Amino acid sequence: MAMELSNKMSRGIIERIKEISGQDPHLCMQCGTCSAGCTGREVMELLPRQVMRLIQLGDARVLHCRSIWVCSTCLLCTARCPRGIDLARLMEALRVINLRSGREVLVAEKIPVELLTRVPQMALTSGMRKLSA
Amino acid sequence: MKIPYFPGCTLYNKARGLDNSTRASLAALGVELAELPRWTCCGTVFPLARDNYMGMVAAARILAGVAGEGEDRLLTVCSFCYNVLKRVNYEMQHNLEARQKLNNYLEENYTGEIQVVHPLEICKEHVGFDAIRARAGRNLKGLKVACYYGCMLVRPALEMGFDDPENPTIMEELVAALGAEVVEYPHKTTCCGSYQVLHENDLVMQRVQDILNSAVAKGAEAIITSCPLCQFNLDWLQEKILEQDTGFRQIPVLYFTQLLGVALELPRESLGLEQHYVDPRPLLLGAMPHLR
Ligand code: SF4
Ligand code: SF4
Repeated sequence: MAMELSNKMSRGIIERIKEISGQDPHLCMQCGTCSAGCTGREVMELLPRQVMRLIQLGDARVLHCRSIWVCSTCLLCTARCPRGIDLARLMEALRVINLRSGREVLVAEKIPVELLTRVPQMALTSGMRKLSA
Repeated sequence: MKIPYFPGCTLYNKARGLDNSTRASLAALGVELAELPRWTCCGTVFPLARDNYMGMVAAARILAGVAGEGEDRLLTVCSFCYNVLKRVNYEMQHNLEARQKLNNYLEENYTGEIQVVHPLEICKEHVGFDAIRARAGRNLKGLKVACYYGCMLVRPALEMGFDDPENPTIMEELVAALGAEVVEYPHKTTCCGSYQVLHENDLVMQRVQDILNSAVAKGAEAIITSCPLCQFNLDWLQEKILEQDTGFRQIPVLYFTQLLGVALELPRESLGLEQHYVDPRPLLLGAMPHLR
């Protein structure tokens, strides 16, 4: 299988994703309900359903997709998944595995000053918590 | 009635209007908010990684502190504070590992006995919408208002236990009690993009435009919310949207407590209406003759 050649994640990482999220990605039946309502769907290259599929397949590319950083943890997917999967926790697991090894997307110095002086404090705190290491 | 109050960091800075109007309007309804003597940031977001107890420490400390004062309730109004305090409280009640780890760390013995409440719940359950209807002036008559809940107030449903997660109505009930007209539109619980404004600005602009256009198309003249970040995204980004789309119709985005304050004819100083990008005062002039 092509997947097995270069992108297969080690069993260890799948177990870590499951452990950190507390979710079983194999419950996903690929119905796409999560993707349909997702806040970030318009700029995601992989929709939440596809993220789920890559995890099921053990495809390591899922750790590096933009979708996990676009997710605004709005929990709409979690609220609607007919299989009861808390997808937002899986998205978070994929982020924290990156963050804990130092990979981040939000760098404080790069936030435009105009925005920095205007946004509410909680936006900075939550953004830094979710998107920076 | 006196309730311990956690304002949160944003209400001390960018969302003073929410803080002032919450205190003033609840006081007018006979509910006194007693700000906690010592408090810290709540952490703003509930950590979704199961092994991240660090992210729950701040909220757990705040809750345990309130319980230590012999109180049984804590009121907060910012949607993010409300979400994280309520969810951490839920963990302290139901997740024995979290309870033990956090209590060991904080040297506390807290088991989730505090009830985290929101002013909307106080309005509905303690004051009562009928009492509010009787107390409100008739100055909002005919004003068309769209209610925006966003994500944090209602999700996840089990932990938040706030209202129907797909179709909450508590804000609409308040609007009706204030004598204004409720505008129904499909986006009241979709997310505005939240903190992604820092990282995926275009995405948030798109979300905001969808939400605003939908409310305006249904005839809304104002939008109300309880979240400082929703308020910021929906209000300030209109400046940027206008730069790109000159045909765009602006709409004021208020805190629900400001609308409540207007209906209760509170003095203008307690409402913070001058802090918005889209000035709501022209719309409310008729309702508030003293603003003229
Ligand atoms: S809604 Fe649930 S079951 Fe359906 S695709 Fe998404 S994760 Fe899978
Ligand atoms: S929590 Fe993330 S993945 Fe789920 S709907 Fe919201 S933005 Fe999309």
